Amino acid sequence: MTSSGRPTEPRQTEPAWMRNLFIGASVAFVGLLILLPVISVFTEAFRKGFSFYLASISDPLAMSALRLTLITAAVTLAANLVFGLAASWLIAKFSFPGRNVLLSLIDLPFAVSPVVSGLVFVLLFGAQGWFGQGRIGDFLSRHGIQIIFSTPGVILATIFVTFPFIARELIPLMQEQGADEEEAAVLLGASGWQTFRRVTLPNIRWALVYGVVLANARAMGEFGAVSVVSGHIRGRTNTLPLHVEILYNEYNFSAAFAVASLLALLALVTLVAKAALEWRIRAEERPAGMEDIA
Amino acid sequence: MSIDARHVGKSFANYVALRDVDLHVEQSELVALLGPSGSGKTTLLRIIAGLDTPDPNPATSVVVDGQDILDRRGSERRVGFVFQHYALFRHMTVFENIAFGLRVRPRKQRPREPELRRKVNELLDLIQLGRWSNHYPSQLSGGQRQRVALARALAIEPSVLLLDEPFGALDAKVRQELRRWLRNLHAKIAVTSVLVTHDQEEALEVADRIVIMNQGRIEQTGTPDEVFHNPASEFVVTFLGHVNLFHGRVESNGQAARLLVRPHELDIERSASNGDSVAARVHRIQSAGPIVRVELASDQSDPITVEMTHERYRDLTIKTGETVYVKVRDARAFVAVGTAQRVNGAGA
Repeated sequence: MTSSGRPTEPRQTEPAWMRNLFIGASVAFVGLLILLPVISVFTEAFRKGFSFYLASISDPLAMSALRLTLITAAVTLAANLVFGLAASWLIAKFSFPGRNVLLSLIDLPFAVSPVVSGLVFVLLFGAQGWFGQGRIGDFLSRHGIQIIFSTPGVILATIFVTFPFIARELIPLMQEQGADEEEAAVLLGASGWQTFRRVTLPNIRWALVYGVVLANARAMGEFGAVSVVSGHIRGRTNTLPLHVEILYNEYNFSAAFAVASLLALLALVTLVAKAALEWRIRAEERPAGMEDIA
Repeated sequence: MSIDARHVGKSFANYVALRDVDLHVEQSELVALLGPSGSGKTTLLRIIAGLDTPDPNPATSVVVDGQDILDRRGSERRVGFVFQHYALFRHMTVFENIAFGLRVRPRKQRPREPELRRKVNELLDLIQLGRWSNHYPSQLSGGQRQRVALARALAIEPSVLLLDEPFGALDAKVRQELRRWLRNLHAKIAVTSVLVTHDQEEALEVADRIVIMNQGRIEQTGTPDEVFHNPASEFVVTFLGHVNLFHGRVESNGQAARLLVRPHELDIERSASNGDSVAARVHRIQSAGPIVRVELASDQSDPITVEMTHERYRDLTIKTGETVYVKVRDARAFVAVGTAQRVNGAGA
């Protein structure tokens, strides 16, 4: 028999018709529910011709929505990178009272409907909200800072909704790796920053990037929470998903799909980045020189 | 450099790991902390390293080479630490693992690249893994990984070397080899070392001195010979190898006594010798090995194990199922807690 450890073909015991049935069902499912909608977005977008498409996406309102979406995604990622890393480090490497409560709180945004998340911020920062009046409200209005129906509100709501992605990706990995390597680094004379930079970060970098990719996809596509806090002010507080909705509600279908195709393209870029990442991880897990051990 | 730890206590939420322990290690000595799991030996080691803090107590001190290091952080103590599960940096090559301690030094103390390479290569030669320097830890065997971990700890020229169950995750044969290798290495570089282990054979073979711990206290300290031949307590006797337990009475006052006898301190005879022996049935004979081990069942005691030489076994010609007589040649009786008495030829 094969003693060389060569991977053997999975044994196929099911009859051919059954295999074909399952493969067919899967392909049909993916085609109908995923591929077809994506294709239809692009065909609808180009229905009135390429020049109309270009005009739709270069429209100042569309461009401002794109800008707001990119700004929101960038700020959200930066904030969640810091918060996610800090929270995961704390939860995975230390034990302290309230650790499980913190873990549940991190999951909260996943459990709550995005619309409710948005409403929470309206209740907090709106004109009648907790922070809308009183000392904080005075401070904000004196400095001309508006949270709700403005960019800060959009960013806050997006941070809230995407918070769990990075932390959730990191915590299991960091828990599995334990604190041994960090302890070893410290005893070898490394400072806290050196330990983080040279030992912890390299060990979690792929999970971190993966979490960022997922959080990014969600940040750019978020509709519910953002819709509640943004106030739909055209050219100012509309993100791409909100702009698509407005165009659609105005029966401006081709323009709506043209802008939607922008979102789809951004999603595709994210997906390609993720696939490239997975490919690199797999390459890294099989380092060169492996054949030396025998 | 010597280690002098005094009045070290440590309690966790629901149990006490160390109760006011004193530990002294002479310069260049290799001391084994030996004890069952939960005896506090690893906690003591981690406190010396600075990975754990002892319970606050003004009398507590950890003095290495004349300086109290208790207030120093782990990164400033310059101790070499070897972990049970190696704790090698998985994303670094063997070379970079060993070089780590040199690379993280403040710029002024950091060796230049050629100097650093020379030093790491020296250590690679010492652990005989020169041709593996560009490999990653995942490509090495367990024994090789632990040697890399040791070289990494030695690279910072530690004042003391602390080893936490260093061979615990390895299989028996590799463990044997590494033990001998560590012994030779210690003879060569003579760094003050503390080794934590729960394996009494390992401690007896490797250490200059053994500290036996139980339930957060030190039971006995001494050379391997001392603790093996003059155990201070019943715990030490039972922990240092298999013992047979006989219940009896002290002849003079009738007080209940427990007699602990090692398998090689018993003898088997074909006939009863004037009242000193116990009748027992041969249950199993295990003669594959350097000595012959005979297990016997008796109505008058727990199952008995006797060890003898092959010559003696050939002379006796005993078989499974036969009834023979077991005689005590040498034993320890424990009348009250902690007092050991040597009994020669005592009856069971």
